[in-house]
Amino acid sequence: MKRIILAAALCLAALPARADRVRPVTDPETLAACGECHMAFQPAFLPARSWTRMMGQLSGHFGDNAAMAADKAERIRQVLVAGAADTGGGKAGSKALRGVGQYDTPQRITELPRFAAKHQRIAEREWKRPEVTSKANCPACHKAAEAGLYDDD
Amino acid sequence: MSARWEFRLLRLWHAALAGGFLVAYVTADEDTYAMHVFSGYWVVAAILLRLLLALAGSGGGPLALPKPRLTWIRPGRNPLFAWMAVLLLAGMAVAGVSGIAADFIPFVEDLHEGLAEASLWLVLAHAAVIAWIFQGRRVREMLKGSAAALLAVVLLAAPAAFAADAARDAVKAGYARQAGPGFAGFSSERGKALFESRNAASPDYASCTTCHTADPAAEGRHAKTGRAIKPVAVSANPKRFTDVAKVEERFERDCQTVLGRVCSATEKGDYIAYMESK
Repeated sequence: MKRIILAAALCLAALPARADRVRPVTDPETLAACGECHMAFQPAFLPARSWTRMMGQLSGHFGDNAAMAADKAERIRQVLVAGAADTGGGKAGSKALRGVGQYDTPQRITELPRFAAKHQRIAEREWKRPEVTSKANCPACHKAAEAGLYDDD
Repeated sequence: MSARWEFRLLRLWHAALAGGFLVAYVTADEDTYAMHVFSGYWVVAAILLRLLLALAGSGGGPLALPKPRLTWIRPGRNPLFAWMAVLLLAGMAVAGVSGIAADFIPFVEDLHEGLAEASLWLVLAHAAVIAWIFQGRRVREMLKGSAAALLAVVLLAAPAAFAADAARDAVKAGYARQAGPGFAGFSSERGKALFESRNAASPDYASCTTCHTADPAAEGRHAKTGRAIKPVAVSANPKRFTDVAKVEERFERDCQTVLGRVCSATEKGDYIAYMESK
């Protein structure tokens, strides 16, 4: 009994750390394929319809060719759709969808109203620093971004 | 400390070491690298702790580390126990320390992987010996039924070590076959020229060196996203060019992006030959 109480107490103590976490990608294939060229963004940042559209046009992926075998793309699409903002994305997912039209299929996380609101105080020259290079380079500033933690501003 | 508590401590330590080693072994893949590093340090720390515990324990008690001897002074433990402990601890310690060193000196990685594989076999042998001694009859009866299955598993698992070079050779052999008649070997000079060539297909990626830098052994950086790219040179990153599907996917994508066309089988082999020479 003592042990169970101790375990429960430890779990409770760990809760605050999980509260504002965006569920990170855990599927190894998805992590490897997306994470090769950029951070493997958490699926909760875009709705399922956006991911489906993105995975259907990989040969023109933000101006670059990210083509992969069709069955691999489909497996990854399923992982992304399962964790998307409007499916398994939880609280972080519903926040990401604020201001996004019901039938819109946004592709750039950095163009979501929520992203703009959260980053409006960042000066243009900060984005241009060589270690940042791109707005999509979350871990340049949010050191634990890949683990789903963005609270370190 | 009473012998009873020393024994409890010993079991706790054994669980920590065994667990740490198991986690380190199964997370050796790149995808779970952070966990691998953590558990590797854990194993090294556990072995250091064991040496300290030996100092803290009573002489001849459960925590003592007896000097390995060649003669058996009866009554007493078989001296092979001490030799087994030395072999296991030294094997794991060197495997762990070489893993830490591989972060700074890339060619230690092969040694690290070899030692880790060897340590696993040592651990399995250790478990078998202990099971044999303390559960002998029961184990023998169990084995009678499954000897053939065990043999098959051992035969299948053994060649897994040192497979990277063989895998890369197989990838190159595939391109040599595709190159067809008139093929006269791959050239690392041609590969170097391809790697350093400047192209007009895409303004953002004029050359392979745009992202990979002019030194293939150095870490690169994606020109658009700023993402770090592991070195392409085999000396700095032995896992390169070992997975056919991955290699093909990368050539298909990056040749199109940088050169604006597909690469020939000869060009792909040249490129790999250059990266092997660096």
